[in-house]
Amino acid sequence: MSDVPKTMAASAQTLALPGNTGAKQEDWELVRLCQSGTAAAFEELVRRHQQRVFALVGGILRRSQDVEDVAQQVFLKAYLGIRRFDQRAAFSTWLYKIAVNECWDYLRKRKVRPLVYEADLSEEQVSQLDGIVSAHRPPESPSQRAEARQAIERILDTLPEQDRQLLLLKEMEGFSVQELAEMLDLNVNTVKVRLFRARGRIMQAFRRRVKPGGKTGARPATPTERKR
Amino acid sequence: MRQHPDFRSAACAQFEALLEDYVAADLGGARAKSVTEHLAGCAGCREALDEAAAGARLLRAVGPADGPGPAFNRTVMARIYAAEQERTAERATFWQPFVSLGWRFAATAMLALAILITYEAGWGRRLQPNLAVVRPSNVSDLFSPDPERAPANRDEVLMMLAENNHGNN
Repeated sequence: MSDVPKTMAASAQTLALPGNTGAKQEDWELVRLCQSGTAAAFEELVRRHQQRVFALVGGILRRSQDVEDVAQQVFLKAYLGIRRFDQRAAFSTWLYKIAVNECWDYLRKRKVRPLVYEADLSEEQVSQLDGIVSAHRPPESPSQRAEARQAIERILDTLPEQDRQLLLLKEMEGFSVQELAEMLDLNVNTVKVRLFRARGRIMQAFRRRVKPGGKTGARPATPTERKR
Repeated sequence: MRQHPDFRSAACAQFEALLEDYVAADLGGARAKSVTEHLAGCAGCREALDEAAAGARLLRAVGPADGPGPAFNRTVMARIYAAEQERTAERATFWQPFVSLGWRFAATAMLALAILITYEAGWGRRLQPNLAVVRPSNVSDLFSPDPERAPANRDEVLMMLAENNHGNN
């Protein structure tokens, strides 16, 4: 699957799109080109949106091994349906909706809930997170960031699914409230209220894990897949 | 400005969305002023705001997850091209019987046309009766009289009738 046809590779290199005057083309222009059959324009759209689609799919599927496959499927569906896309919404909104639906389809077909980490945090992780919250001390090295992220994702896993998704996508992946509202079919104010409450909940969950004296049930994390 | 009986439950319901904007530093003007005024007198909202701000700090500290690998883009396009080819092949398979039928119909029509033209051009003409031959020679030309022999008066008319034996037959 990773073999790319030569014609396509060439088109990617010399992306001579009609109307391209050197300035960055807007998404809607690229969409219009796709609709008239220019596949290279879609390649540019993939390049622009792959990071966020990947983050979105990863956020919902909790970094399972199929994230890449589902993310590819999202773009494939978008390509096959792009002629029917009327551009009343932004391309990104339309694409993220496809991604959300694709994730739910995936979870429904597999009849599993996303991977859930049931382990408690280690003392190191607790002190690291405490430093972030109390002393405003963010992790410095990439390895510290990765460890902190793992710990935070574990706390997020204890929240209701929608709270977890909203917090992860908003605060960690950088989606705006407007984008979240559109992709989850919610009112903007509803998203804001849920986000606000979810922030309170995650702090409650965090405090439950930080017992007085700093003692925590530290054991290795084991992801489990629960049947629905 | 009311006091919340239980600080952990929630902030004032009508201020939650505004407080979320406040945490996200997305509030300005009159709305920011109204929130600040409310916070000054509402301990519940202040506590909820502190909790939310701490939660935001916790989550923002780590940043986004790693993106896909460098080959992702090309892999996606390869899948798209494969799907496109498959779709084209499927479409061809679907229409194949109709195309085949169409060709057969066209061939039949051409053959029928060729036969018709051949028939009209030669072979059919031989079968048609020669009208000049079969035309009865004794048909009276009473109703298309030769202008040279046109009767001049009543007597001549009667004479012509008598010559051609009309009236008796």
